[in-house]
Amino acid sequence: MAMDTGKMSNFLEMTGLVKTFTGATALQDVSLNVAKGEVVCLIGPSGCGKSTLLRTANWLTPADAGEVRLDGELVGTMPDQRSASKQAKGLNAVRARIGMVFQNFNVWPHLNVLENVVCPQMVVAKRSRNEAEKKALVALSEVGLEDKKSEWPDNLSGGQKQRLAIARVLAMDPDLMLLDEPTSALDPELVSGVLAVLKRLAEKNMTMIIVTHELGFASSVADRIVFLEGGHIIEQGPPDVILQSPATERLKLFLDKLNITAFQPKSD
Amino acid sequence: MKFDFIYTLDALPRLLEGSLVTLKLALLGFAFSVVLATLVTVARTASKSRILSIAVAVYISFIRGTPLLVQIFLVFYVLPIVGLNIGPVTAGILALTLNSAAFVIEILRGGLASVPKGQFEAARSLGLSGYALWVKVVLPQTFMSSIPPLVNEFTQLLKATALLSTITVVELMRVSQQIYSNNYHPIEVLTGAFVMYFLMCFAVSRGASWLESEFEVKRA
Ligand SMILES: Nc1ncnc2c1ncn2[C@@H]1O[C@H](COP(=O)(O)OP(=O)(O)O)[C@@H](O)[C@H]1O
Ligand SMILES: [Mg+2]
Repeated sequence: MAMDTGKMSNFLEMTGLVKTFTGATALQDVSLNVAKGEVVCLIGPSGCGKSTLLRTANWLTPADAGEVRLDGELVGTMPDQRSASKQAKGLNAVRARIGMVFQNFNVWPHLNVLENVVCPQMVVAKRSRNEAEKKALVALSEVGLEDKKSEWPDNLSGGQKQRLAIARVLAMDPDLMLLDEPTSALDPELVSGVLAVLKRLAEKNMTMIIVTHELGFASSVADRIVFLEGGHIIEQGPPDVILQSPATERLKLFLDKLNITAFQPKSD
Repeated sequence: MKFDFIYTLDALPRLLEGSLVTLKLALLGFAFSVVLATLVTVARTASKSRILSIAVAVYISFIRGTPLLVQIFLVFYVLPIVGLNIGPVTAGILALTLNSAAFVIEILRGGLASVPKGQFEAARSLGLSGYALWVKVVLPQTFMSSIPPLVNEFTQLLKATALLSTITVVELMRVSQQIYSNNYHPIEVLTGAFVMYFLMCFAVSRGASWLESEFEVKRA
């Protein structure tokens, strides 16, 4: 696993990303490379561009400038010389390899648990129903939801919904997973179940970028922690270095604030 | 005034036939209107075209700002002039479709607005786009939250079919008129039609709420 700032790692290559919204610059020339099997945690104050950076990785938010490649394959670039239909086709193909997990789960309420996991496999990965159901059951059991397969999402707890969202992504056999504050919308007692699933994925060498405020979790799963502020990467490195001996004043301040807000020290 | 129930009873078989025609007209008009409105909604949203958006808004305000009866007559008289010799039934269904579509577009706009942005994003992030995105993810949710107003629109349309009697479509109202112009008992015959219309609308709205509660039970 790559422990360094990622120059030699080139599975996911995000280069020179710039994104400006009306009135706010979210990314100011950010570059980030992630190696295969690496787990990167993004931390930083609210509004610093973490979500935007994550969402440019699968071009859900197209950047104003810069380029994203996965395994050498173009995800998105700006300016893009390809025709619109070529862009869309390429994007769908590469997105099928990148799983995204959202803060608000975004499971589909009109489909039951099993169908949530089956649908993208059949529609995007063109698998037969039989194969898709088999895969779905494996994915559901990986997140501990095998006995909920006939349930409707409305009847699941937040933690179960998030684990369903993870299963929906896993069934697509992703090469990369992007997780945007996957436990922030959960009641405290439901957080650990989701984090346990993510930990297992990390142990199985799933490549992941995780935006999180759970520093305890970050230090235990991350190969690298990246600290963002004001649309810049301020500092990055292995968890113990970043969390124990931050080099910049801004990261120190940020960590102090988090530690004060955190009610008690996090175990695990 | 004496109400002679026998005239209602005598008219019943033909009123039933007329009701069937009414139901068919309403179902066809509604089906076409929902298809048309869905296509317009998807095209307007997916293309983000300002021109299309304005054209739809203008269309809706024309339809809402004029009497349905005038719209029916216009379709009935204008189409033959432009060379389309469709009979009164087709003209009637077309007029109902064009009218109802304006209202269904508005209903679907509301339903679509209730689908959270995250639902689109989850679909896109998994590689769904275009047809699959709409058919598998967005439209089912749009329709599910539009069921009550859609049922209401259908009953409006069902009642509006009575206006087609004016362009000689032989539906429930026209049948009633034919019967009482022979037996001179409009009150008894129209009472029969009144009950028929009511029963159809009642059945539709009861059936819809039953379906909805069944669905809730299934999902609970
Ligand atoms: N869709 C959007 N429209 C306008 N401004 C946005 C949008 N998304 C993000 N921003 C702005 O971009 C900046 C970075 O946002 P974000 O990436 O969501 O930060 P974080 O996830 O770190 O809290 C913020 O100032 C935010 O207000
Ligand atoms: Mg965010």
